Amino acid sequence: MDLIAEGIAQAFWLLVKGDRGVFQIALLTLKVSGLATLISLAIGVPLGTALALGRFRGRDAVASIVNTGMGLPPVVVGLWVSIVLWRYGPLGSLRLMYTPTAMVIAQTLIALPIVAGLTMSGIGQLDPGIRVQILSLGATRWQLIWLLVREARLAILAAVMAGFGRVIAEVGASMMVGGNVVGQTRVLTTATSMEVGRGNFGTAIALSLILMGLTLAITSWLTHLQQKGRPTAQ
Amino acid sequence: MISLKDVQLRRAGRLVLDIADLSVGRGESVAVIGPNGAGKSTLLQVMACLLPPDSGSLAVLGERIERGADLIGIRRRTAMVLQRACLLNTSVYENVALGLRIRRTPDAAIRDRVINALSMFRVDHLARRPARALSGGESQRVSLARAFALEPDILFLDEPFNALDLATRTALLSEVGEAVRSFGATTIFVTHDVTEIPFLSDRTIVMDGGRIVADGSIRRVLADDTRSALSELLRSASWLCGKDGDDDSEDGTSFPLADSKG
Amino acid sequence: MLSRQSIKSSMRILLIALLLSVLAITASAAAPTREVILATTTSTADTGLLDALIPIFEKKTGYMVKTIAVGTGQALALGSRGEADVLLTHAPSSELPLVSSGDVIERRLVMHNDFIIAGPAGDPAKVRGLKLAADALSRIESSQSVFVSRGDDSGTHKKEKEIWGKLGVKPSGKWYVEAGAGMAHTLNIASEKEGYTLTDRGTYLALKKNLALDVLVEGDAILLNIYHVMQVNPAKFSKVNGPGGLAFVEFMVSPEVQKIISTFGVDKYGDPLFFPDAGKNVDDLGK
Repeated sequence: MDLIAEGIAQAFWLLVKGDRGVFQIALLTLKVSGLATLISLAIGVPLGTALALGRFRGRDAVASIVNTGMGLPPVVVGLWVSIVLWRYGPLGSLRLMYTPTAMVIAQTLIALPIVAGLTMSGIGQLDPGIRVQILSLGATRWQLIWLLVREARLAILAAVMAGFGRVIAEVGASMMVGGNVVGQTRVLTTATSMEVGRGNFGTAIALSLILMGLTLAITSWLTHLQQKGRPTAQ
Repeated sequence: MISLKDVQLRRAGRLVLDIADLSVGRGESVAVIGPNGAGKSTLLQVMACLLPPDSGSLAVLGERIERGADLIGIRRRTAMVLQRACLLNTSVYENVALGLRIRRTPDAAIRDRVINALSMFRVDHLARRPARALSGGESQRVSLARAFALEPDILFLDEPFNALDLATRTALLSEVGEAVRSFGATTIFVTHDVTEIPFLSDRTIVMDGGRIVADGSIRRVLADDTRSALSELLRSASWLCGKDGDDDSEDGTSFPLADSKG
Repeated sequence: MLSRQSIKSSMRILLIALLLSVLAITASAAAPTREVILATTTSTADTGLLDALIPIFEKKTGYMVKTIAVGTGQALALGSRGEADVLLTHAPSSELPLVSSGDVIERRLVMHNDFIIAGPAGDPAKVRGLKLAADALSRIESSQSVFVSRGDDSGTHKKEKEIWGKLGVKPSGKWYVEAGAGMAHTLNIASEKEGYTLTDRGTYLALKKNLALDVLVEGDAILLNIYHVMQVNPAKFSKVNGPGGLAFVEFMVSPEVQKIISTFGVDKYGDPLFFPDAGKNVDDLGK
């Protein structure tokens, strides 16, 4: 128990002191996971919508791939991205290995199937009559998509939260493609993992508290957005 | 306003729609009736340009409907009311305004039309309510308001009273009939309930197996030997004519609103 | 809300947000020739020695170092693939094949620290004070006392296997616990289970106060943990930063740095964690 107390005390101390190292790590965590989630949203919502509404050849195959992708172990994603980004890999000339950009790529690949898959099911669950009704009102294809996305906004926000939660918490991919380089690619999860490995459990707990605090703050804000859209009885 | 020639539609190899020749003129109010699976809703969807036929020619509002036609433009001059209201997860006002917003009508004009439509169907007091919180009858009123707010050239009704309880159904039948008459919109009304027809339409089309088997005024249609198609439907309405459930007469009825044959 | 205008403007906002974030992420990329990728082991990084030395190197030479701390196997593999510029590892038997294959050049002795066999004060296997590590492990095995191994193919683990190899023994059984984890974690398990383990002195000293383990066997030549720095061969791997790697090698064996190494850890633990050896003959160590 005193380990937890020590951790809390240390977390407090780090925050009050405005420890630059910790601040930098926390900021990078938000930047990387935030950007990865944003990209997943930009690609995943249209993709999920297309899969839910479309009737093109190969649709079922793509849907299966997306659903499988939801369960990809991060360390596997990290390994495959590394193979591509290594100096002697196909994209080695981009020199992205051990950079935050590589981490964003890996995290996007982890979050994208989640956002797309949950959007697909969210839109798929909508009353099919709504689609007919909206089309009969003379909506263009874009208007239809916009209206359906708005109608499924609760499910889609849940998808975004799920994607964000998954990537801000992962270690395997960030470690492999980022390398946990101090001042450059160290994020809260990789730093925590390192401190645990060194036996600095107090520091590790402090970092994990900061991570959970950040995740809670952002998820609360997203939940607030989500619940605003809930139909209320009067 | 609407004309079909040799229009055919197949689903899973089966011919579900086979219309040799059908025309509906401006201002006509036509009922389409038939047993389940007769192709009534399919016909409606084809006329509303929501479902392309496999073959044949279709013209709506003076435009030939073929590849490259302005389907959106046509759809924006029509309105459809379905069996279920299918309202969006927003306020009643916004639901009624939806069609107008899709057409990018300016806000001031939207306001007037929505308020008029709401009061036409007596749901103005519900304007601010979340649409999902409404009862079945109230939802359908909102759906009707949504359609009428558009002042459409053609109004399509696909069994809109089917899911309603008797009291609501009766009330709405006369209100909608009133609205249709005062607007003078061309109306296509699909139903499987014969007793609804007189409220809304002068002309009746009977469908069976994807084909039109009768077309004319209600009386004439009932008089023709299309009894086989209609008999099932009439039997269900037999209680209106004072007969009890176990029917022993062959042709079943003397329809209250129809005179004797001929 | 439905006009093409407002849909487009929402998309535009999303696009701008994306672009800004991308810029924020990619802002600080250094030129390729100024970057040096150093692959080393987690235990080396954990000692904190590199945290002290790297800033000095960066200031002196202007290179920016990316220290990738992974398992010994992975560090050497990165070297063999030309994915790192310079290596700092402590598994000589595994390093030599890279020298003969020409994957690495300029391999220089840097320093050593040593391993110890730690165990419970009660010492059920009676190994305290033994001169030879092999004898100690032999007694532990025959008495079936709990022994916790790294089990992760790290330098420490390889050293442990080396000693078992000398006995011709392949340890197995309930008494032999394979942690598959880092040194700190392994020490904690040994402490909890009141068992024996092979550990580097540095990590032991760092965690001593939380452990219920004593130093039982030390000083055997085989327990020396010998560190070499080596440059990944730029002639074999053209994408490697040759000058950067060489600069780091020369830095590690320079007199100033060797001096820093000799005093590193004294203020914290009372004893230095490493013994500088640049220029010496490897076979002379430990005598």
